[in-house]
Amino acid sequence: MGLLNYITAHSLDEDYAHVSAQRTEGDRPVRPGSAALVVMLLFGLLVAIAGIRTAHNAPVSQTNHAELVTQIKARSAKVDARRRQIEAVQADIRTLQAQYSQATAEGQSLSTQLGRLGVRVGSVPVHGPGVRIVVDDAPNAPSARYRVQATDLQVLVNALWLSGAEAIAINGQAKSFGAEPERLTARSAIREAGSAITVDYRSLSAPYVITAIGNPNQLPARFADTRGGSTWFDLQAAFGLRFHMTSEESLTLPAAHRLSLHFATTPEKLR
Amino acid sequence: MIAGLGLLLGVVLGLLLQPQVPPSLQPYLPIAVVAALDAVFGALRAFLDGIFDDKVFVVSFVSNVLIAALIVYLGDKLGVGGQLSTGVIVVLGIRIFSNVAAIRRHLFHA
Repeated sequence: MGLLNYITAHSLDEDYAHVSAQRTEGDRPVRPGSAALVVMLLFGLLVAIAGIRTAHNAPVSQTNHAELVTQIKARSAKVDARRRQIEAVQADIRTLQAQYSQATAEGQSLSTQLGRLGVRVGSVPVHGPGVRIVVDDAPNAPSARYRVQATDLQVLVNALWLSGAEAIAINGQAKSFGAEPERLTARSAIREAGSAITVDYRSLSAPYVITAIGNPNQLPARFADTRGGSTWFDLQAAFGLRFHMTSEESLTLPAAHRLSLHFATTPEKLR
Repeated sequence: MIAGLGLLLGVVLGLLLQPQVPPSLQPYLPIAVVAALDAVFGALRAFLDGIFDDKVFVVSFVSNVLIAALIVYLGDKLGVGGQLSTGVIVVLGIRIFSNVAAIRRHLFHA
């Protein structure tokens, strides 16, 4: 605390004591002169200026404060507006989501319907149990009647449709397009073209493999009951055509190659 | 008497003229006022002690104001302006208080 004590003890400028000690006794009365007047004037000026400055600054901070208050009010009003906007947009989003899910529900049902129809029409691949039938010409066939004819295949396929087959494909040894099964559709044609049989303009050759998806337990029996079935038994017996049917647990048939319609359109009413 | 006259004149002059202080000097105005206040109270005490001297008063006033402003300026340049102003105010404040106490003792003999 030495410093504080020193400051307190020497609060008066020592020069005053020093000068008065040098002054001889009764030299002249100690009265403030014109220099003191000037210094006091200066002091007054200083005080006035400082006071004016502070007074000037106060209104500035006051206006600053008012300005800030108005800014805060404006900004919070803006925030409120934005918040309301957000709420409105969120409500919009909710309604749109509801509409969307409704639409997607419709879309989903439509696409499942489309898929189900596609299985029937042949526009999508199908998978399921069924039967595999392999037919072939008689060995060492002496004439065309001992070979499998296009009409024989037509009869066989029609008999399969009649027996409850849901999808049928013929997989002969395709000459031109690789060994991909040919899915039969409502527009498929099995024709004789020279010595070969064509299905949808693709040539097949024996042995012909017909795969049909349906109930593997019922299909063979129902096939045997149809006229086509008995025709094939006759063909087997009379000409020695080979016919072999096996039940399959898992068959996969591809989509049909040609499904385009050139003339048929949906009636105006149903669109 | 003459000192009071000078003070009054200075205040009136300042209020009337409202002289503009350069912005670079404005931060040192309050500390200069406090330093001047210290010099004035010191002078008053010296007057009451009977050891007042014009020349000493002028020198102490000017040097007080200049040194106080200089210290704060230096502090500003060194980045400790706030702390140094506080130090100057504390020292000057203590001096003012002890001087005023001496003046009070003189005036009221207590």
